[in-house]
Amino acid sequence: MEGQGQNILIMGIGNEVLTDDAIGPKIAKELGRQIKDPGIRFESVALGGLEIIELFRGFEKVVIIDAIKTRDGIPGALYLFRPDDFKETLHLSNLHDVNFLVALELAEQLGIKLTSEIYILAVEIIEDLVFSEEFTPELAKAFPGILVEIKEFLYNELNISEFKTVESKA
Amino acid sequence: MKRITIDPITRLEGHGKIEIFLTDEGEVDNVYFQVPELRGFEKFCEGRPVEELAQIVTKICGVCPGCHHMAAGKAIDAVFGLEPPPTAKKIRELFYMAHFVHSHIAHFYALAAPDFVVGPTADPAERNVLGVIGKVGKEIGTEVLKQRRLAQEIQALLGGHQTHVVLNMPGGVRKGLNESQRADIEQKAIGFIDFAKFSLKLFEDVVLSNDTYVNLILDGPYNLKIHSMGLVDENNKVNFYEGKVRVVDTVGNEHCKYAASDYQDYIAERVEPWSYLKFPYLKKIGWKGFIEGQDSGVYQATPLSRLNAADGMATPLAQEAYEKMFKTFNQKPVHATLAMHWARLVELLYSAERMLELITDPDITGKDLRAEPKKIVGEGVGIVEAQRGTLTHHYWTDSKGLVTKANIVVGTTNNNAAICMSLKKAAQGVIQKGVTVDQGILNMIEMAFRAYDPCFSCATHSLPGQMPMIVNFRDPKNNIIRSISR
Repeated sequence: MEGQGQNILIMGIGNEVLTDDAIGPKIAKELGRQIKDPGIRFESVALGGLEIIELFRGFEKVVIIDAIKTRDGIPGALYLFRPDDFKETLHLSNLHDVNFLVALELAEQLGIKLTSEIYILAVEIIEDLVFSEEFTPELAKAFPGILVEIKEFLYNELNISEFKTVESKA
Repeated sequence: MKRITIDPITRLEGHGKIEIFLTDEGEVDNVYFQVPELRGFEKFCEGRPVEELAQIVTKICGVCPGCHHMAAGKAIDAVFGLEPPPTAKKIRELFYMAHFVHSHIAHFYALAAPDFVVGPTADPAERNVLGVIGKVGKEIGTEVLKQRRLAQEIQALLGGHQTHVVLNMPGGVRKGLNESQRADIEQKAIGFIDFAKFSLKLFEDVVLSNDTYVNLILDGPYNLKIHSMGLVDENNKVNFYEGKVRVVDTVGNEHCKYAASDYQDYIAERVEPWSYLKFPYLKKIGWKGFIEGQDSGVYQATPLSRLNAADGMATPLAQEAYEKMFKTFNQKPVHATLAMHWARLVELLYSAERMLELITDPDITGKDLRAEPKKIVGEGVGIVEAQRGTLTHHYWTDSKGLVTKANIVVGTTNNNAAICMSLKKAAQGVIQKGVTVDQGILNMIEMAFRAYDPCFSCATHSLPGQMPMIVNFRDPKNNIIRSISR
């Protein structure tokens, strides 16, 4: 997937039918509904690995939204990682080919130019072992706040002031 | 928002776990392998229109969505009593060959090759695809990415999306191919054949010409004498999409051969208190425990077992590669676990050749894409070979076609007992009294299950990515005396 005139990729990673694991895709979809900017592509995918290289090609900035489960974590808490301090979220590693950092390194070694402006936003979740299209009550309650926090990050940290937003009807 | 470095205080929960019990002498007494389990898929399906399952099941697992889509499509056909027209079946199989090509390339170059090209006990930081490319050259790395991408493009073209596939409908497929698309896929298929031949040559040059690796395959702690399962066509040749499931015993005699709808007559499942995953076994033999040999009920469903269970490959170049493999081992069936990597490359060549056969078949651009549903049978089973083993989907519906029950036996679940046994043998082989257990030893244990290309995303219905793994060593009193994690 090339950027095709779009220079920012906002990508939610997770399983949309696995309770809280859907947080990345659901946030990406909601942002896509609220932010109308032709320069931004919103995607929802299930996993990373070598696919990361194809997904990232052509974009100047990449924002990944994934789920994370940490010991004693607070549901809905948001973490920011950059590739330099990243180790693992639920989906940026891959049992079947390579993990996220190896994929980036592989691209560099093969002369495939990928952006270094990569931001990983990880949301603390509770349940990712039960099939459901609904969040746990705790994450559902936290969802509006998470969305606001991520939008603030996109506006402030990425300095993308030309966002044109519309009210969500969702 | 927190800005943190995740290690060490926030390691992910939900680890995979290997428990190794040692004797007083410091040798391996037993090994238990555990992974977390997903729950509630059957409940999740209940009450939904059965035709929706072909799309829903692609979300069980991001690694093999095409396999679930195919098994579901066939089960749904059966629920409606439909037989898809030839063009539809060939388009489905064409999609499926692309799925096999991309998956087998990824497994060999990213997971198998590091152990052989870089070395089984090499520094973990180097034992990955980067290390492989460092040894064999960047051109090969570029070609790996290119061939994978081309296979993904075929899946996206046919399936609407490379992972959330929407190809199958009851009785057929949603859309066909035009001549321009057909010609493009034909060129890609020719390229896949060349790349598969190259990959087999690389395996010969790097692995088979190295006595250390050959000895590891033949005489190392990676042999497991159990029965072999695989889908075969009417000539007993390997087939991934259609046919009957054949099981041959440890000496190569046919144990059984059954149609999808009869699977419950031949396969049963056992629950062990220490594992989240069930343990399927051959029903007519019965569960005799985690034992090898002719009397065992344990079987494997892997690339190697598919070749063991068949009389050959249905395409010429893959048949040559098949004959060469068995001639090298001078036996059939082969029980060398690490030979799964070789078998996987034979299958890669078959997938590419079969793709070329299908894309040059006049039916492939036909317009008859679907048989219309006219009745609801109310129950259907679909079986395909997933990359990781025989995959079974079984659905029950009411008279309106709403799902009342679903059962799925995924590829890796078939291999659960075999993986546990392989891990134990590997651990017993490499952990001896006085041997320091380090990351190299840990990797040699992991090699035993990596060969199976296990998909615990499917088997446990989970998506943990690269599974955080803890290996606990326990003394005879159950005390943890050492842990290694990654």
